[in-house]
Amino acid sequence: MARSTDVRLPVRSPVAGLRRRRLSFLEVLAQSVSALAPSAAMVVVPSIVLVRSGSATLPAFVAATALVLLVGWCLTQFGRRMAAVGGTYSYTAKGLGPVGALVGGWALLVGYAAVAMSALVGSAIYLAGLLGLDPSPPVVAGLGTGLGVLATLFAIRGIQLSARIALALEVVSIALVLVVLGVLLLAPRGAPGTAAPVVDAPVHWGTVAVGVVLGVTAFMGFESAATLGVEARKPLVAVPRAVLWTPAVAGVLFFAAAAAQVVLLRAAPLDVLTSQVPVAELADRDGLGLLRRLLDLGIAASFFACVTGSTNALGRVLFSMAREGVLPAWLGRTHPRFETPHRALALVLPAVVGVPVVALALGAGPRAVLTGALTVSAFGYVLAYVLACLAMPLFLRRIGELTAVPLVGGLLAAGAGVLGLAAAMAGASLWGGQAMTVVFLAALLPGVAWALWLRWRAPERLRAVGVYDQATASSVLPGTVPAEPV
Amino acid sequence: MTPGIDRGLTGRQPKAVQSALAILEVVARAGAGVTAKEVAEELALPPATTYRLLNLLVGEDYLVRLPDLHGFALGRKVAGLTGVSGPVPLSTAAREVVAELRGRVRAGVHLVLYTPTTLRCADVDPDHPLQAPELVERHLHASSAGKLLLAEQPDWQESLHPSRLHRVTARTVVRAAELDDELREIRRRGCAAQSGQLHEDVACVAVPVRSPAGVLVAAVLVSVRGPDPVAPVAYVEVVEEFARRLGPLLG
Repeated sequence: MARSTDVRLPVRSPVAGLRRRRLSFLEVLAQSVSALAPSAAMVVVPSIVLVRSGSATLPAFVAATALVLLVGWCLTQFGRRMAAVGGTYSYTAKGLGPVGALVGGWALLVGYAAVAMSALVGSAIYLAGLLGLDPSPPVVAGLGTGLGVLATLFAIRGIQLSARIALALEVVSIALVLVVLGVLLLAPRGAPGTAAPVVDAPVHWGTVAVGVVLGVTAFMGFESAATLGVEARKPLVAVPRAVLWTPAVAGVLFFAAAAAQVVLLRAAPLDVLTSQVPVAELADRDGLGLLRRLLDLGIAASFFACVTGSTNALGRVLFSMAREGVLPAWLGRTHPRFETPHRALALVLPAVVGVPVVALALGAGPRAVLTGALTVSAFGYVLAYVLACLAMPLFLRRIGELTAVPLVGGLLAAGAGVLGLAAAMAGASLWGGQAMTVVFLAALLPGVAWALWLRWRAPERLRAVGVYDQATASSVLPGTVPAEPV
Repeated sequence: MTPGIDRGLTGRQPKAVQSALAILEVVARAGAGVTAKEVAEELALPPATTYRLLNLLVGEDYLVRLPDLHGFALGRKVAGLTGVSGPVPLSTAAREVVAELRGRVRAGVHLVLYTPTTLRCADVDPDHPLQAPELVERHLHASSAGKLLLAEQPDWQESLHPSRLHRVTARTVVRAAELDDELREIRRRGCAAQSGQLHEDVACVAVPVRSPAGVLVAAVLVSVRGPDPVAPVAYVEVVEEFARRLGPLLG
C-alpha cells in the first residue's frame, strides 16, 4: 500500500479556545432539546395541525418524526467523522464546497436567530401572563429585552451552565405539560363538541402533507448539538447520538401530546380549538385556573431555554465563520476564563432582541411576531438541512466511504426537504403566509451575496471554509505523523 | 452508570471485536494515511462494516482521522496499550544537559518522560533523590509533573477518573472542579507548581520540554524540601532555558 507521506498535523486545532471535552452526553443532549423547545411545541403545534389535517394528525406526526429521523441520520454521517463547531454549516462545506456551505450556513444563522427571536417573544408573552400583566407590545418588548440579556449572560458564562439550566427548565416544563394533559384527560368530558367534525375530518393526501410540513417545524433545532464538537466529551459518539435521540424522544412526546389533544378537543367547542392555546383554554373552562398558570410557567421556561440554546448555537456558527476568515477575526476570539465565543455571542444579542422590539414598535402584535419569526426560522432550518443532506453522499464519495444506503438516504431526505420547502414557501400552510417567504428571502440575500462576492473578489478567504476540531500533533501516537513546522 | 445485565458476547460480537483489532493492526502496519477502502480490501471485510468499525475506533480515540478526513492514523490512546516497561533509554546528550542544570540549581533536578497519557521518572537527581518516584508516576493529580500531563489532555478525566483523586496528604487537590481550576492556571502559565500535595514538606515545579513540533515529551522537575512553598518557582526561568535545549534531544 502506498502512503501519502505529505500529511502534516498542526500543533493547535483551528477552533482552539473553547473549553474542550467538558460536556457530558446529557449536557450535549440538552443543547439539542432546548433549541427544539419540546414542551412549547407539544402544547402549540398539535392543535394547529388538527385544524388543518383532522384525523390525519397522528399519521402526520408519525411521518414527520420519521422524516426528521432520516435527516438526523444523514447528519450523523458527518457527526461520526468530524467534530464541528459550525453544525450543519461545517458539514455542508465538506460536501458542497464553500459557496454551498455559506448559503446553508447563512440559512442556518437565519434559522437560529429567528427562532431565538420567536422564543424570546414567546417567553415574554407567557411570563407576562404568569405575572398577571397584559401582554401588550411595550410589556413584551421590556420583558423580552431582560430575558434576552439574561440568556446571553448565561451563554457567555459557559456552555455547561446554560446547558444545565436549559435541561432543568425543559425537564420541569415537559413534566408540567404532561401533568396538565393528564389532569385534563382524567376530568369528565361531555359528548363530542362542535370541534368534533374538524378533529375527525377525513384523511386526504393533501391534509397529510400539510400536517407533515407543520409537524416537521416542531422539530427544528434538533441538530444544534452539532455545534458542540469541541466542548463535548467523545464528540464523535455524543453528538450523533444527541442528533438522533432528540427527534426520537421529541417524536414520542409530540405523538402523546397530539393523541391527548385529539381526545380532549373532540369534546370541545370549536372556538376552543381555534384559540391560540387550546389546552390552556380547556383548563380555564374546566375551572382549573391553577393548571393554566402551570402551563404558562412551563411554556415560558421552555421558550427561555430555547433562547439560550439557539443563542449558543448561533454564536458558535459565527465563531466558526470568523475562524475561517469569512467573517472578521475578532468575532473568533474566546473569553480567556469562560472559554466561550463571547464576542460572537454578544453580537447576537442586539439582533435577537432588536428585531422583535423594532417589529413591536412598528405595530406588530406579539403573537404575530412569535409565529412570523417561527415561520422564517423554519425556512432557514429546512434549507440548511436540505443542503447538508445533499452534501452527505458527496462528502462520503470524496473520502471514499460511500455505500448504497447513505446515497439513497441522503437523496431521499434532500428530496423530501425540497418538496416541503416548496410547499411551505408557496404560503399554503405556515403562519404569516407568503409575507414571511419574502422576509426569509430578504434575510437570506446578504449571505448569498456575501458568498458570491467572496468567490469573485477574495476566493482565498473561502479556502478555510469548513474548519472543524481536526487532529493535531498531540492526538496521534507520537512519532507516527510529523507535525507542521511551527 | 448502572451495570448492565451481563449477557456475555452474543451473535456476531466476537467477530466484531476481532475485526476491530485487525483494523488497528492494519493501520499500524500500513502507516498514517491509510484509507477506509484500503483497510476493507486488506481485511476482505464488507465496506459498510469496515466504515462503521473505523468510526467506532475513531470515536474512542484509538484511531484518528487525518485532516483530509479520508486517511487514518493510530491515536494517542494506543500509547497507553503498550504501557511503559524496562529502563527508559535516555541519550547521553540529554543526560549531560540535565547534569549541567544540576550544577546551576541548589535543589533536586529530575527528568520526567511522557507518553501521551503516562509519565516515567527517567533521570532522578542522585544527590537530592525523589522520596518516591512511584507516587509521582501514580498520583498524577498530586505531583507537578502529573498536573502538567493532565493539563495537556483534551479531557483529563479519561486518563484519571475523578473517583481516583486520592487524598495523599492533607493538601492534595481531590475535587474535580478545583483540579480543573489548577489545570487552567497551568495552561495559562506554561508550567506546573505544587507544594505539600504529594509529600507534606516538599514543593516542586515542573517545566515542560516540548519537541520542535510543540508536543509535550518530557518535563524538568525541580523539588525543594522545606517550609517555603514557592522556593522552586524561583528557578523556573533558568530551568526553562535548559528545557528549550532538551526539546530537540527528546522529541
